[in-house]
Amino acid sequence: MTGVNWARLALVVAAGLILQVSVLDQITVLGAHPDVMILVAAAAGMAAGPQRGAIAGFVAGLAADLVINLPYGLSALTFVLLGFGTGLLRANLAAREVEMTQAAACAAAAAAGTILYAVLGALTGRSGMLGLVTIYAVVDVTLGAVVLAWPVLACLRWVFSGSRARLGLAVPRGGSAV
Amino acid sequence: MAANRRTSQRLTLVMLVLASLTVLTLDYHGEASHAINHVRNAVRDVISPIQRGIAAALHPVGDVFSGTIHYGSLETQNQQLREELGQIRLKLAADAYASAQAGRVLSLAHLPYVAGIPVIASEVIGNSTSNFQSTVELDGGTSSGIGPGMPVVANAGLVGTVVSASSSTATVLLVTDPTSSIPVSIGGTGLYRAVGAGWERALTLDFVAGSTAVHRGELVSTSGLGGGALPAGIPLGVVRSVRVSSEGLSTAVTVTPLVNLDDVQFVEVLEWLEPG
Repeated sequence: MTGVNWARLALVVAAGLILQVSVLDQITVLGAHPDVMILVAAAAGMAAGPQRGAIAGFVAGLAADLVINLPYGLSALTFVLLGFGTGLLRANLAAREVEMTQAAACAAAAAAGTILYAVLGALTGRSGMLGLVTIYAVVDVTLGAVVLAWPVLACLRWVFSGSRARLGLAVPRGGSAV
Repeated sequence: MAANRRTSQRLTLVMLVLASLTVLTLDYHGEASHAINHVRNAVRDVISPIQRGIAAALHPVGDVFSGTIHYGSLETQNQQLREELGQIRLKLAADAYASAQAGRVLSLAHLPYVAGIPVIASEVIGNSTSNFQSTVELDGGTSSGIGPGMPVVANAGLVGTVVSASSSTATVLLVTDPTSSIPVSIGGTGLYRAVGAGWERALTLDFVAGSTAVHRGELVSTSGLGGGALPAGIPLGVVRSVRVSSEGLSTAVTVTPLVNLDDVQFVEVLEWLEPG
């Protein structure tokens, strides 16, 4: 990752955090709300592979933890695993160059990440993480991700644009990744 | 080449997981936790003006916009009249909103159960960013005199307790959060502990013996015991259900909060100092 990639990542994470706190937190259905920060981690893995997905997830998680009164580092741990996992998923995804497939995979990954967050939270001793609240959270995060996945993916592609070609990961138009 | 890349990927994953676990561990220790809270408060101070601005814009204008949007399809020759009508309606809606807001603020001015305790009026500007925590953000912080541990009430009763405060915002843990635990009495007698039941927007009572007579609709209020973290006599909720266990040894009591926690906008923070 170049300095430009880092700067863009910081910008996208900051914008995501403000969007989350100012707008998405107020859109509550069943007591839960959409989560754009978890989507940033998932989209990073989808846009740039497991390694940079994990790095972006770590950065997004540390930022998200700043506005949450839960153990600091819980989101970072979850998002690292999520970014890495989504990156691996992308490598094994049929029709992975189809944007619709990527967006759908991101939404599914965000749902899985929400469950992972609840499980890790429960493991750290936090009460009330597992139960009906988990189901409500998964529903809201997934619905939000369906709407937000495409623009967030576009942002993360912009964040990592340039580094893929330099690392020889880019596939020429009409070419094959195999 | 591919093997090297996989090794590099795994190494990165292990390092980041270890870094996350280190941060988590540090957060459980005193000094590091204080430093993290300082950073959290600084971030809240930066974000809160934006949050406050958007909240202020969304609350009143959202309703007005949804009301005026229906006028978009009127005929062209009535354009001028429509604009005037729209402006009048806008003003009426704004006046009605302001009047309702004033009423809600005034209703907080005569809370019988806070007699003698200094209060700080505040407005809710945001909800919890986590889906797994029941908190709200207030538009006042340490610069307004609000600090951790202070009880927060609305006109009907207890809302929660301040758990952290930056200079311009404060975070209130709602009474329904699973980590919230409040010493209470039922109808002014007994000593129980009301624990939040999460998103059910209810509380459950601990330490209720099977022989205790509890009835639906009874008022549950703070007992003032348990170290005096909360003053006595603040209404919390009413008994929603009572179920005695099959052995008759304990009673499961569910309490519905008096305050509608999904729609709380103005609150008062009690400048209550814990005895000792």
